[in-house]
Amino acid sequence: MTAVLEVQDLGVSFGGIRAVDGVSFSAARNAITTVIGPNGAGKSTLFNLISGRIRPRRGRVLLDGVDRTGAPPHLMQRAGLGRSFQITNLFFELTVHENLRLAAQRLEPADRLWQPVGRSARAAARVQELIARFQLGAKVSELAGALSHGEQRRLEIAVALAAQPSVLLLDEPTQGMSHADTADTAALIRTLAQDVTILLIEHDIGLVMDISDRIVVMHQGRKLTDGTPAEVRADPAVKSAYFGDA
Amino acid sequence: MRNITASPASSAPAAAPAAIPVRDQLGLQMRASHVLMAVFVVAAVAFAAIGAAIGDTFFLRLATEALIFAGFALSVDILLGFTGLLSLGHALYFGFGAYVSALVLKETPSFWLAIGAVLASSLVAGFITGLVANRVRGVYFALVTFGLAQVVAKAVYNTRELGASDGLIGVPIVPINLGVGTLMSNAPAAFFLFTLGFVVVLYLIAAYLLETPFGRILVALRANESRVPFLGYSTRSARLAAYVLASVIAALSGALYPMLRGFVSPELLFFSTSGNAVITVVVGGVGTLAGAFYGSIILTVLKSVIGTMTEHHLIVIGLLFIGTVIFLPKGLMGVVRPWVMRLLGRRAS
Amino acid sequence: MTAFLDYFQFVLAPQMITGLSLGVAVVLVALGLTIIFGLLDVINMAHGEFYAVGAYLALSLGFAGVSFWLLLIIVPAVMLPLGYIVERGLIQRVFNKPDRHVTTLLLTFGLGLVVEDVLKVIFGGNTQRPPTPISGAIDIMGVLLPNYRLFLILFGLAVIAAVALVVNRTRLGAVVRAAAFDRNMAASLGVPVSQVYAGTFAFGVALAGLAGVLLAPVFSVFPTMGRDFIFLAFTVVIVGGMGSIMGTVVAGLLLTQVQALSSLIVSPVWSDPILFSIMVLMLVVRPQGLFGRLGHA
Repeated sequence: MTAVLEVQDLGVSFGGIRAVDGVSFSAARNAITTVIGPNGAGKSTLFNLISGRIRPRRGRVLLDGVDRTGAPPHLMQRAGLGRSFQITNLFFELTVHENLRLAAQRLEPADRLWQPVGRSARAAARVQELIARFQLGAKVSELAGALSHGEQRRLEIAVALAAQPSVLLLDEPTQGMSHADTADTAALIRTLAQDVTILLIEHDIGLVMDISDRIVVMHQGRKLTDGTPAEVRADPAVKSAYFGDA
Repeated sequence: MRNITASPASSAPAAAPAAIPVRDQLGLQMRASHVLMAVFVVAAVAFAAIGAAIGDTFFLRLATEALIFAGFALSVDILLGFTGLLSLGHALYFGFGAYVSALVLKETPSFWLAIGAVLASSLVAGFITGLVANRVRGVYFALVTFGLAQVVAKAVYNTRELGASDGLIGVPIVPINLGVGTLMSNAPAAFFLFTLGFVVVLYLIAAYLLETPFGRILVALRANESRVPFLGYSTRSARLAAYVLASVIAALSGALYPMLRGFVSPELLFFSTSGNAVITVVVGGVGTLAGAFYGSIILTVLKSVIGTMTEHHLIVIGLLFIGTVIFLPKGLMGVVRPWVMRLLGRRAS
Repeated sequence: MTAFLDYFQFVLAPQMITGLSLGVAVVLVALGLTIIFGLLDVINMAHGEFYAVGAYLALSLGFAGVSFWLLLIIVPAVMLPLGYIVERGLIQRVFNKPDRHVTTLLLTFGLGLVVEDVLKVIFGGNTQRPPTPISGAIDIMGVLLPNYRLFLILFGLAVIAAVALVVNRTRLGAVVRAAAFDRNMAASLGVPVSQVYAGTFAFGVALAGLAGVLLAPVFSVFPTMGRDFIFLAFTVVIVGGMGSIMGTVVAGLLLTQVQALSSLIVSPVWSDPILFSIMVLMLVVRPQGLFGRLGHA
């Protein structure tokens, strides 16, 4: 299986602290790769480095074999990267429909930018698809800020997915969700992986073990190990990082 | 361990389910603004008819000036109400347009030449200064635009070739050739109607652009700028484009000023002009476009009425403004528009 | 050599002293601005008008016979409750709304308009000038120094030092800084946050008023004096770093020196563009200013 996303020796420091320190791994096509680690391990910073929000001090990010290191977020998006946020980052004062439409607009050719919104038929069709897939039909005309937490988290994923990225970064998608919602979301992510390569950050170990193809364990900015869920579960270094003496 | 067997329903595109009806909230808002503008235009035309019938000059010219400043306020609303940028120095472009227009008209009293010159030069000026101003956002952006206008205003004030503190006087009467006929800039009712048409065209251009995906990106900037790059758009480019658009519209409005008054002066660049536009937009209704027009009329009427009683109209206007910011932050049209939207919505269903 | 010494003695040094005395006063005004921003996250567009109010109070009380030395205490004392009321009555009303930055900016902008016009109503539009409290000049190493300017510099520096001391070294200052850093945490620790906010705003306003008292004999008093001054004050705050006292002091003294010295080389008309260019340059190269922390606005 080919690697769609490859991270090589990625590193960045903030005021003397090595937030991410020489991390390397690859995410295979249409696989679910999950990044786990205790709080402060550098997982969200890793996502910020990959998605272009922060510029890495060293290392490389390759998307589909092309070096995209240091590209700003909007160019990463255009290269095929989609990303959701740990703290819900929607357009709260706009409707669910508009949130999706904005994200789906990227599917249209550039000159559509200057034509009336109604002409963007492809984006409109994509919005309908997303509404159906993420079961947002009932709330489509509501403001995103009026949704329940679980619905907002779902919308987060939908917005990240709207422009049909080849790689989807999901940052704690089930954060704050109930058990039922978490299980539904896990199932959703599994179906998404058929079309998209997924890189996931998650804290719910049950979910992680259940749906991941590969797990990358981070600790204090470095990669501790990576492997299949079975390998990681058996690794003593992982156990001590989470529970013990590290 | 992942479940490899995929259920067929999710892998093949389902036979298209019945499309969920979506209500484009922003589109509805814009249509409501159009209704409010239509009401405004009808009232304005009626006003002109009455004014012409009774042979009035003063009120027609006052109203024309209000329309010119409404066009300027429109540009401020594009920035503040849609892109979320507060510019405290936008009079820079209004004054720029006025001065360029005056300079051209004094050489050749040709309306289209003046407008063309203002259009071209303001595009360039807006772009260059926009590059500087848009390196920062929020409060810093407000202060940079403030400073920029201060500096240029002082420079103009001290430049003899531009008339220094007296400004440029002696702008001739301009014949405006519309193809189907010609009107003179000193004909009160005719020029009023022409200005009305001119600023309405500016409104329509702004409204059109704001209802394109480009315009929706501006709205997205105001709603949550941090997410916009992850949609695939450069926020710097979007903000710059909005800024240039606003600068051009401000300049084109300013271009009409010397045609009405026969002179231009550095006051047009001062902070008070920028401030007045912001007050107009906030009182009229920020983010409604139509609010710029209603606000300008309200402010003009207030200033005239209070001006007859005392020269301290700033206290009243300032208090009104403070009251609006605290108690009616959406402005007048911000309150009226939802009613119109409900009416329109009911008609559609 | 003697030509240079003469130049220094008769042109450069006096100019620098003038710049220094203006600088000290600008720092006092800008200090209030930066403290208000640092704590409340509020841009006080009416700050220049409070400076004007201080000057007008000094003018009128002075004409009524109150001695200058008393004015230095009375005027700021009067302005404290004024600032307190403005903060509790106006700013708090919009403080918890979503686009607070824009709203408070607009609110204080409106307030500035009203205050300026009220001043015009009460005092008329003409320029007035209170008498210089300390006359005469002193000769230091051949440089002639107006006594009042010298006093201004020394007194102003003393006040600045006192402010820095209070903010950084006292318990009161610690409380204020805590409330600035994390409002909710401070509240749960028993800090009366809304009073701290109002008090800090009042303090900043009082500083501006004090600057008004000090500068009135130098620059005269007229209704739009605040508006002219605010540009310089904001430039100092931006270049020094919003919320940083050290930054305000350094930038304030530095920029007024730049202004004073540049007017020797080019026409004074250019001083505004020069200052503005420095402001823009700083915003582009280092938006947090010389000493500021990133993460503000």
